[in-house]
Amino acid sequence: MARLLKLNVFRYNPQDPKSVPHLQTYVLDETDNMTMFIALNRVREEQDPGLQFDFCCRAGICGSCAMVINGRPSLACHTKTKDLPDEITLLPLPVFKLIGDLSVDTGVWFRAMYDKVESWIHTRKEFDPKALEERMDNAVAEQIYELERCIECGCCVAACGTARLRDDFMGAAALNRVARFVVDPRDTRTDKEYFEIIGNDTGIFGCMGLLACEDVCPKDLPLQNQLGYLRRKMGITALKSLFSRK
Amino acid sequence: MSSILAMHVAQPSRRDAYLDWLQMLSGAALVLFMWSHMILVSSVIIGPGAMNAIAGFFERTYMAQIGGPLVFAAFLFHFVLAARKVPFRAEKQGVAWAHAKMMHHRDTWLWIVQVVTAMVILIMGAIHMWVVLTSLPISAEKSAARIQGGWWLLFYLVLLPMVELHVSIGFYRIGVKWGVIKADARSGAKKAENILFGVFMVIGLVTLVRFMFLAI
Amino acid sequence: MQTHYSDLLVIGAGLSGERIAVEAAQAGFGVTVLSIVPARRSHSSAAQGGMQAALGNCAMGKDDCPDVHFLDTVKGSDWGADQEVARMFVDTAPIEMRRLAYWGVPWNRVVPGKSFYFKGGEKFEKVEPEDRAGLITARSFGGTAKWRTCYTSDGTGHAVMCTMDNRCAQLGIDVRDRCEAIALIHDGQTCFGAIVRSLRSGELSAYLARATAVCTGGFGRIYKATTNAVICDGAGHIIALDTGAVPVGNPEAIQFHPTGIVPTDILVTEGCRGDGGTLLDVNQDRFMQIYEPEKAELASRDVVSRRMTEHMRKGLGVKSAYGDHLWLDIRHLGDKHISTKLREVDEICKYFLGIDARTQLIPVRPTQHYTMSGIRTDKDGAAYGLTGLFSAGEAACWDMHGFNRLGGNSLAETVVAGGIIGAKIAEFLGGHEVKFDTTLVRQAGAQAEERIKAIVSGTNGHEDVYKVRGALQEALMDGCFVFRNGPDLEKCIDTLHEVYERSGRVGLRSNGLGANPELAVALKIRGMVKLGLCIAYGALARTESRGSHTREDYPERNDRDWLTRTLAYWPDGAEKPVLKYEPSSPVYELPPGDRGYGGGKIIPADPASLTLIKKEVKG
Repeated sequence: MARLLKLNVFRYNPQDPKSVPHLQTYVLDETDNMTMFIALNRVREEQDPGLQFDFCCRAGICGSCAMVINGRPSLACHTKTKDLPDEITLLPLPVFKLIGDLSVDTGVWFRAMYDKVESWIHTRKEFDPKALEERMDNAVAEQIYELERCIECGCCVAACGTARLRDDFMGAAALNRVARFVVDPRDTRTDKEYFEIIGNDTGIFGCMGLLACEDVCPKDLPLQNQLGYLRRKMGITALKSLFSRK
Repeated sequence: MSSILAMHVAQPSRRDAYLDWLQMLSGAALVLFMWSHMILVSSVIIGPGAMNAIAGFFERTYMAQIGGPLVFAAFLFHFVLAARKVPFRAEKQGVAWAHAKMMHHRDTWLWIVQVVTAMVILIMGAIHMWVVLTSLPISAEKSAARIQGGWWLLFYLVLLPMVELHVSIGFYRIGVKWGVIKADARSGAKKAENILFGVFMVIGLVTLVRFMFLAI
Repeated sequence: MQTHYSDLLVIGAGLSGERIAVEAAQAGFGVTVLSIVPARRSHSSAAQGGMQAALGNCAMGKDDCPDVHFLDTVKGSDWGADQEVARMFVDTAPIEMRRLAYWGVPWNRVVPGKSFYFKGGEKFEKVEPEDRAGLITARSFGGTAKWRTCYTSDGTGHAVMCTMDNRCAQLGIDVRDRCEAIALIHDGQTCFGAIVRSLRSGELSAYLARATAVCTGGFGRIYKATTNAVICDGAGHIIALDTGAVPVGNPEAIQFHPTGIVPTDILVTEGCRGDGGTLLDVNQDRFMQIYEPEKAELASRDVVSRRMTEHMRKGLGVKSAYGDHLWLDIRHLGDKHISTKLREVDEICKYFLGIDARTQLIPVRPTQHYTMSGIRTDKDGAAYGLTGLFSAGEAACWDMHGFNRLGGNSLAETVVAGGIIGAKIAEFLGGHEVKFDTTLVRQAGAQAEERIKAIVSGTNGHEDVYKVRGALQEALMDGCFVFRNGPDLEKCIDTLHEVYERSGRVGLRSNGLGANPELAVALKIRGMVKLGLCIAYGALARTESRGSHTREDYPERNDRDWLTRTLAYWPDGAEKPVLKYEPSSPVYELPPGDRGYGGGKIIPADPASLTLIKKEVKG
């Protein structure tokens, strides 16, 4: 009754001079409630101990295990095999540097992103350990958290047509990060300052609106709305300065 | 002092923002033009007299003589702007194609459709405009003669769907890119996009048929 | 082998590691942080519930203060906590929460006016005060007198982790991911840094530092059923234990979580029960009120885990292909509550079980969850045994949790301890100079290289590392889980010795090139078994039941003989751990008493001996 799953897995170890990129097939019997986390670990433990892939929380929280599953970038840990056909093709995320097999280097990419968008609260205030915290409307806090939910899995970047075509495109994750600070009243940056970061073709104006980011995001972040919001906001910022200059 | 400092501090460029505005505005203008154009031409369905009356109006007000070349210019302008985002090197085209094939994602495919139709429209649209604008005034009889000539029918049978695809996808794309269409309205917008495409295809085809059988 | 140098080397980029790094960097020191995964993927981010701090802003937290928090913490620890440390923690926690707010954490805030909450399946009304509007609010969480748990929806750990990592980026701290420390460089007296394997290329490098902090989280992955991330395999404890000089404190103090989903053991937050979720048995009847009439589902997690196991042993569990389980019911909380306040739980049910928690029951069972145990440090976070080595967070036994930590106290500990210990490390760096012995560094590197070579070439044998790990995990599930007893522990120890011996014969089946995952496990397997043996020996020796350490054959808490902390050392070349003991706390602000839940008899301590402990430590 149990299905036999055929897993076609991308294999290549750049550290092994003998390794050549190829698809390797593993056959595995499906068990109840099987996720790709269970499947891949079984492959590693039972068939191919050197197979490289990344899992960490295995609960859809940390974003480690993004890979291209039958064409779609998604989190392997919350992909249930029962939702997939008998034959499953697994590829590493494009755009990011390959470490080996299904494992890619998202860490370096995202750290560079933090620097680029200055992913932190910009404030002139000093922290006073004796004072009460500054008040904030709970609705605002929840709005910030809504955008803070990004787990940096890289799915949106790998699914992005622009990111595939140009290396310097920031991608939805970075733009969403900017949106997160835009809604945060603690950050004192002005629209003009945000414009300096994202007001060009590597930023919001590079977005071609294919919306694959919105459609693959495993956390269902409101990327479409945020990208549209930023484009209008930055577009208007540019127009304003056209009239206010001198 | 500020002027001295400013000489050495790179001013953030607003170029990309302006170009993006212009791409959107030229696109939106062309979309509106195309729809009006289709509706005006389709007046032939009512009768050649209706079309000729409208054409005559545009002729007398010099809108055809001036507007025509302006539309042609906007058309080229829009192409140049949008081409900034289009891969022209084979390597990048390969990447874009592989990406679309991998993703199984409708909106990504629609973008490929837009790029391909854009190239076709660039050539065929230019030919169409050249032919029409070099033989003003426009009349139902002249158009009918062209279509009944044979090859031109085939030409328009190709150009019509290309234009309608490009226009309806472009219209939808402007909406989502600029956040006019929000996430919850997206599937509705897609439906609208399909309906627009269908309606204008029908109008276009009926118009062609009418030209085919119009007594010259 | 490349050599890197910094003032402070932090191993582990979770909340405590990065908090330490921030504190030291703010003081002007050069800090390198290493992590096996990108910082934000650290297991800190998986903590959904919240952080306990006595801010007392919300209606249900009215009149809360650090003193009440202190009582909850020490009682929760079953008097196993170091009370000096617990006191420092509760006093600092509120300030730290405000600091996090200043750095950017979007804490949920007080919304004035009427609202409802659930307790034990019943609906109650509360009125939030107008004058507190917009201040940091709190929710209820297992086993506290007041609502004290600060939170950001259902992703507190994630939100705080983002903020802390942002702060690191802002300070320009060098955070390097995919780096695994596989040995500490030391001379038996002082720690000089670590030998590190790159998980990109497999290359080894030496990271030298005047101070080294191990903040690698827990070691739940030595159990088969655990809520921990796959990276929580005790790598930091292993390199500390391997020095022979540094002890693991209270190895037997392991906490189990009542609600891991079946079969993947993904944790569903205690917030479910805090918000009014109930536990049901095979007949879909509530049962917790039978055992704990007062608190029912809201009793502390060790009590709930134990009662669940007890109930299942009575044959009232739900049978499944993965063994027995019980049901968690949150259906009555409603769509709005589930899709906002418990969104992560909702997602877990949808993505990992394929069920809808609004209409269906969630299969749950107790699983390993938290290690109160860890690298034993003093109150400044300095590890016993080696100068220049520090530890914080779950990796450490600081020790504010004793034999049971409260929900929300551990996540708060990461940042509170990180801040306190970071400042102490900065102080230490101000006055501590070292001479790096290059021979020592080279030796440590050569030793690591030899180990790797032996494992890759199979000179020691060809044991399959995954099978050895499986055997370790099974043995611990059988002998060192929620309930423990003498005969089972002895059997467990015998099995573990066998596994230990096998772990020495591990050889790779793959080629070991690059970031080879089999090699990563093989380098740790022996240390993992050592940790297992520490737990089993510690648990066997401790002939009492305290907190989450439950001996069926010694059900009473024995303050007379066991108001102590186990220190497990593993001397070089030894075949088993050497256990030593120290008093649980140098001072007793709160003398041992009844926790008020969990039941059980207490054999009281001789009051004179407590004073004696006080004197001994002070002298």
